[in-house]
Amino acid sequence: MGRRSYWVIAAMIIGYVFLYGPILSLVIYSFNESRLVTVWGGFSTKWYGELLHNEQILSAAWLSVRIAALNASVAVVLGTLAGFALARFRRFRGRGLFTTLITGPLVMPDVIIGLSLLLLFVAMEQAIGWPAGRGMLTITIAHITFSMAYVAVVVQSRVAQLDPSLEEAAMDLGAKPVGVFFAVTLPIIAPALVAGWLLAFTLSLDDLVIASFASGPGATTLPMVVYASVRLGVSPQINALATLIVGVVGFAVLVAGILLARQERLAARSSD
Amino acid sequence: MAPKTPPWQDPDAIPLVRIDGVTRHFGDVYAVDDVSLDIYPGELFSLLGPSGCGKSTLLRLLAGFERPDAGRLFIDGVDVTDIPPYARPVNMMFQSYALFPHMSVEQNIAFGLKQDRMARAAIRDRVGEMLTLLKIEQLARRKPDQLSGGQRQRVALARSLAKHPKLLLLDEPLGALDRKLREHTQFELVNLQEQIGTTFVMVTHDQEEAMTMSSRMAVMEAGRIQQIGTPTSVYEYPANRYCAEFIGAANLIEARVIEHADGMVTLKPADWDGELVMAQETPLVAGTQVTVALRPEKVRIGTPPDGAGGRVRGRIEDIAYLGDISIYHVRVPDGPRIQVTQTNLVPRAEQPLTWGDEIDLWWTHRGGVVLLS
Repeated sequence: MGRRSYWVIAAMIIGYVFLYGPILSLVIYSFNESRLVTVWGGFSTKWYGELLHNEQILSAAWLSVRIAALNASVAVVLGTLAGFALARFRRFRGRGLFTTLITGPLVMPDVIIGLSLLLLFVAMEQAIGWPAGRGMLTITIAHITFSMAYVAVVVQSRVAQLDPSLEEAAMDLGAKPVGVFFAVTLPIIAPALVAGWLLAFTLSLDDLVIASFASGPGATTLPMVVYASVRLGVSPQINALATLIVGVVGFAVLVAGILLARQERLAARSSD
Repeated sequence: MAPKTPPWQDPDAIPLVRIDGVTRHFGDVYAVDDVSLDIYPGELFSLLGPSGCGKSTLLRLLAGFERPDAGRLFIDGVDVTDIPPYARPVNMMFQSYALFPHMSVEQNIAFGLKQDRMARAAIRDRVGEMLTLLKIEQLARRKPDQLSGGQRQRVALARSLAKHPKLLLLDEPLGALDRKLREHTQFELVNLQEQIGTTFVMVTHDQEEAMTMSSRMAVMEAGRIQQIGTPTSVYEYPANRYCAEFIGAANLIEARVIEHADGMVTLKPADWDGELVMAQETPLVAGTQVTVALRPEKVRIGTPPDGAGGRVRGRIEDIAYLGDISIYHVRVPDGPRIQVTQTNLVPRAEQPLTWGDEIDLWWTHRGGVVLLS
């Protein structure tokens, strides 16, 4: 252990405190007895109990979960198609443009995505009458548009690593193209699809800005409820809720990370 | 058993594979350029050449992964040019082995049989047969990432043979193995091929591998076949300078024809005074520029006897001692450097030759081959 390694450890601790300190204090205060968020009044889990009886929050949470799951499922299908196209068809006209366009939503400000979708939905409703009004459907569509970009990137990198002779071998052994996809390609890239699904799920669950633009009077997602109630003064219930969300999201990201890392390890091992 | 006429010399023999004027180009690059080739049942045929010569493309054309831009392909009398890979009676062993990582060894071997909707019991029997054939019974339940390189190679071979294909294509089958294992596996592969009788077509860039394993081989360069023949005939009678230099080492001596008579051609070497008299069946016109390819082991050191096919004097520039043999580089004054190999019959320290020595070299009428291109 030299002097340098102490520095590295110190830098690492400072970095993690900076990243996770606020979240940690939020978790700690979710177990606060006191009604005042900033004053410690002893340990208690009563805010979790109250949370379970808060109809507004529970229905918003249920809506968010449904949107997130639906969004993730559709985004995985569309993102996989796009990811395949990017990885496989190396030389098609406009490939560069397509790549840029597909990854555009990753860097585009949420406000712009939200606003443009709102304008589109309004225009469409006037022109063809669909989607009628704004609510769960429009929020889901809005979430799909950006989360499929993330799925596409994840799938693309996996498909690009895939040894093309695996699919050729399956075909050589008598499998037709559709059979090759389901018997060989899909099982091999499955972890990337699961990771992509979890990623899309958490992105949707976290989103406030785009959902606010795309939602209507009937549909209020969990982040919207949290944001609205915080503006009226922070209730310790929100701390408890946030702790639960951090738990769920953290778990999903962890699983996605493990799946992707394991895939990379397998790919590295089978290609040496 | 009386020695049979090899099928490629038998006009009545029916080829298993007929490649007829096949061309495949990628943009301006002709990977395979008007290639015609017959391969007979039971052969172990090698496609040999440097990387980029088109040998792999030719193999992929046979497997069906590439479609020819011109020409037809026949397997067992059937025109397979337009038949997709999954419907061809051909299987391939890939250079990367391409074992399915999510399946066990057994499942990998059974994959092709399942595609044919073979009965469950029949699949089990066939998988067992393959495991025994390749001596990998104890690996049946392992996943590919739990296997060594040599074991993977066997599993890949078992999988590609499981459907009893008429033709097995092997893309650099030994390329991923280390040297020691490769030499051992060469013989195993040949024995296996003789045992099961399946026709093998193998792609390799390693001329030693092609020499030891093949019944015949095709030497390719830039999409074209330069020569087809048995390893012996390609080595002893290379068709042109390219083949002479690609297979083994060769000294190339430029010369001009003086006369041709009684199966002998008299030549004037470009770089030294004197004459070469080489055996040559087909007549050559006086004045033609030719190249004599001379294998290093056919050049001898010492006083030339009367009636030697060629002789020259030179100075030893370099000696490479390889243990079993030594390679001498002998410079002809103002002329080429000639490579000579000699078996080390006595220990190195007792050998009389050393750097800078002036020595005589000679060879017989049949010691070299006259090449026109």
